[in-house]
Amino acid sequence: MVGEQTSSISIQTISQLKTLTPTELFIGFSKIGLSGFGGVLPWARRTLVEKEKWLSSEEFSAMLGICQLVPGPNIINLAVCVGSRYAGIRGALAAILGLILGPIAIVILLGLLYDHYSYMPMVQGMLRGVSAVGIGLVGSTGFKMMRTEFSYPPMLIVTLLTLIAALYFKQGLGWVVLITLPIALYLAWKKATRA
Amino acid sequence: MLSPFIDTLISLFIKFSALSFLAFGGVNALLPALYELSVTQGHWITAQTFADYFAIANAAPGPNFLTITLIGWHVGGILGALISTIAISWPSSVIIYFVQRHINNMQDLRKQKTIQYAAAGLAVGLVLASAWEIALHLDHNLSAYILTIGAIAITFFTRVHPLYLIGLGAILGSLGLV
Repeated sequence: MVGEQTSSISIQTISQLKTLTPTELFIGFSKIGLSGFGGVLPWARRTLVEKEKWLSSEEFSAMLGICQLVPGPNIINLAVCVGSRYAGIRGALAAILGLILGPIAIVILLGLLYDHYSYMPMVQGMLRGVSAVGIGLVGSTGFKMMRTEFSYPPMLIVTLLTLIAALYFKQGLGWVVLITLPIALYLAWKKATRA
Repeated sequence: MLSPFIDTLISLFIKFSALSFLAFGGVNALLPALYELSVTQGHWITAQTFADYFAIANAAPGPNFLTITLIGWHVGGILGALISTIAISWPSSVIIYFVQRHINNMQDLRKQKTIQYAAAGLAVGLVLASAWEIALHLDHNLSAYILTIGAIAITFFTRVHPLYLIGLGAILGSLGLV
């Protein structure tokens, strides 16, 4: 615990920005969590940069870039980055809780409704329709991400290789990452050192 | 002796935590692995319930890990919902907490860029594979595939808000067209 505290204090001194209390962070991230229909990240930008002005546009992009380096839900990573920057570990926890508690409560209520009404053919059909669209949204996220890879076409090899490995090893996500990571790092190094 | 209930919750926590470490591209990339764990291997939920939870999570406001929250809720009520959500969140939270300052201070910008490009390259492949796999699991007829492909095309080529498409899917579905 002592180690954690010292590191959180040094992060605060690095940021040299206005301070926010954990309560403010909790409320801010609650708004982000509850307003995000169809993806939370655009709402995070709107709230953090435009409304609350906690971060400049450049800071937001840089922070998001770092959050996308590590695996896991990107929006949770962003909550940890912003929360810890302003109020250390307590800030990070407050931001995460703010982000997840509201949506968890809502989705559980929807789950209860589902238990009561899922026998109805109309509800079943509705969910089939929404699920088909939801898969499409995942797919288009992938294609949008792929668009940026065209700036350095060799990286598309990594994309293709990951795609093939993922379809071949089906449930073995660990193997897929293990096999493709070295090639990804090699090509990424080439991309970073070109010019 | 642990009760089977506690046993399942612990298993759920460990397996979802392990998944989180591999989630390049976020939860979107995890859907097939999640299906495998909770439907095929664990028999925690049926294929139908998985599909319906995925739909509910898409229709609800909030981050896209809510499918995981619902699976946990099905297994162990509110406690299960919290445990599954924490399991998917804690590994990356701990990593990013300790790593962010290090990356910020990285002297060699090329190293930072290298990690960034590599993670992005992996993420694209994983998310596309995930969409493909999960479509094979959840889309059961031609009209569902048409709806999926239509949603991809519309969100890729236009700036229509995803919520309208979800509404459209709900209407077409409730009319019995999907």
